Amino acid sequence: MPEALLYTLALGASTVGLAWLALSMDVHWEQVRGERDPLPRPTAVRLRWLGAAFLAASLALCIAVDHPSMASLVWCMSLAGGALAVAFTLTWKARWLRPLVGWAGRGGAA
Amino acid sequence: MFNNFRLSMAWLHTWFGLVMGFVLMVVFFFGALSVFDREIDRWAIPQTRFEPQPMPSFDRMLRPIFQSMQPDAANVEQARSRVNGPMAKEFPVKSWGAYTTHRDPVLGIFAGFELPNAKDPEDTVWGLRTVDPRNGQTLPDDHLKIGSQFFYPLHYSLNLNWMNLGIWIVGFAALIMLVALVSGVVMHRKIFRELFTFRPKKHTQRSALDLHNLTGVVALPFHFIFAFSGLVIFGATYYFPVTHTQLHALHELHEKHEAEETGLPHERAGVAGPLASVDAMVAEAQRRWAEAGKAGDVGFLNVQHVGDANSYVSIYRAGTDRIALVGDGIHFKGATGEVLRVDPPLTAVASVNTFLTGLHLQHFRHWLLRWLYVLGGLSGCVCIATGFIFFVEKRKRQHARQGASGARWVDGFAVATVTGMVVAALAMLIANRLLPEQMPAGWAGKGDWERYAFWGAWVLAFLHGLWRTAPVAQARMAPAWREQCWAIAVLAVAAVLLNWVTTGDHLLRTIGAGYWPVAGLDLAILASAAIAVLAARRLKRRADASPLADAAQDPAHQGSAGRHPETARA
Repeated sequence: MPEALLYTLALGASTVGLAWLALSMDVHWEQVRGERDPLPRPTAVRLRWLGAAFLAASLALCIAVDHPSMASLVWCMSLAGGALAVAFTLTWKARWLRPLVGWAGRGGAA
Repeated sequence: MFNNFRLSMAWLHTWFGLVMGFVLMVVFFFGALSVFDREIDRWAIPQTRFEPQPMPSFDRMLRPIFQSMQPDAANVEQARSRVNGPMAKEFPVKSWGAYTTHRDPVLGIFAGFELPNAKDPEDTVWGLRTVDPRNGQTLPDDHLKIGSQFFYPLHYSLNLNWMNLGIWIVGFAALIMLVALVSGVVMHRKIFRELFTFRPKKHTQRSALDLHNLTGVVALPFHFIFAFSGLVIFGATYYFPVTHTQLHALHELHEKHEAEETGLPHERAGVAGPLASVDAMVAEAQRRWAEAGKAGDVGFLNVQHVGDANSYVSIYRAGTDRIALVGDGIHFKGATGEVLRVDPPLTAVASVNTFLTGLHLQHFRHWLLRWLYVLGGLSGCVCIATGFIFFVEKRKRQHARQGASGARWVDGFAVATVTGMVVAALAMLIANRLLPEQMPAGWAGKGDWERYAFWGAWVLAFLHGLWRTAPVAQARMAPAWREQCWAIAVLAVAAVLLNWVTTGDHLLRTIGAGYWPVAGLDLAILASAAIAVLAARRLKRRADASPLADAAQDPAHQGSAGRHPETARA
């Protein structure tokens, strides 16, 4: 079922994109990486671009399945769902988000 | 009155949000359930648990049923005050209609009849039937479609039909919803910085505010568009009914002009006329839709001026493949079957209107979007519920010191509207499974008893809420929340078990057969039970962890009851 696959990818891209946007904020970065590893400014900028790119990719995936009018609604609601998922993950299982910033080295060597 | 704009917005948000929040909670919760109203109907009426069917043959199946129809006795009874003199015995038929969607196994049909001696000459009484399209058999009329005939109208009218009072209250609440969203955004100083923030380990007031902001902000487009489109849907008919009041004469004239323009007769000719094959008209409509690249099924079929020479048949397409609620109507002359008119393409304004209407009413086929709407609706519920909790937490200590009972009353109402509403909905489903198919002679119908179960359970939950929130007056936690969570868990499991016992449809069977309308509802009910148990246990742990610790934890906010929530916390 390619449709189901595309929807899954779209939801996943929304969630990952929003997670990166969250991780570009000091407070959430610290939840995931610990207080001794502050967020370097260039990494924050890069995370924001990555996040935005994934949200755009999610919209493109939605449009690939449905008419743009329908796709815009699915995308908009996927952002709501993704944001809730990211917020609750940060609350209870912040470490799960570590792989998303695994590439950003320690001590600001991003 | 206020030092700055932000404080005035906070006042507006707090007090209007509190009062209308109780209504909005009902609107959001039953709106979320209405996304799956047809599926709830399947659960409640086991005879209808089969696959959705297309519109059946009009000529062979529907026409004889329509011809046998009479106005419903209850509808005639209601019309008694609308006629001069005694009520007629015979009601000449005016129109026939049949309506189905891609989620309906059974077909709803209705016939409109003239009301002789009516004070308003255009007044109509209605007869309704539900038909099994596979064999043409009609279903008993007293079986309430709990999803589409109770939960759904509850969403937009609170089922308060006197003078359309409920629709007006809900409309005002939707307007306040828009105000609350805008004022909430103005109040919220860290809308982006705290977008993903939820800190359950902080004290209740803070974590409730976190959750309130989170669920309000992430679903903000949903909340805004749904409140707005809801107002648009009822705008012209109910909220600005100028065409039916001040402009009544002009409205009539416009209808006549429109009829001249479209060629669809406004009045009966007064001469009897035949009805050609409607099935042939349906085939022609489908051929034209396919030609225009919009092949589709019939959603709504209407015969106007039945039995008259001026009779015409309107056939509308089911809007399963688009958001906009458009019918692409094609109209035929009843006597001959010739095409009278094809609805023209929409204007820009009409396109926006049908898009807004369609995205709210969801005639489209899109299961993911449906579930995302449920998520949006439930996050609205969480937003409102945490608003209540924040209100109570912020004031209860001060009220306790002053001997005031305001916080306690708000908590009691909050319990009734948050957990009490779920208790009432579950009690209705349980009553549906326990009551016999046929109530004893002289009793009210089964559907009426289901309604009594709903309202009765809600009243009990409200009384329990008022009684068991007494500790709030001493600035402690109310046991009512915890106890009603347990009630939800017990009722939810009972509902699923009763569905199994009375119909044989347990989850293994429904999931195995892929019958998701029933399996999905059973699973959703069990999920509610699980969440309720989790919530009850957490509340118990919090209450046990010394009821006064909570109060001692943060003395800073004790004098801040009249201040803005954000500034009070800062």
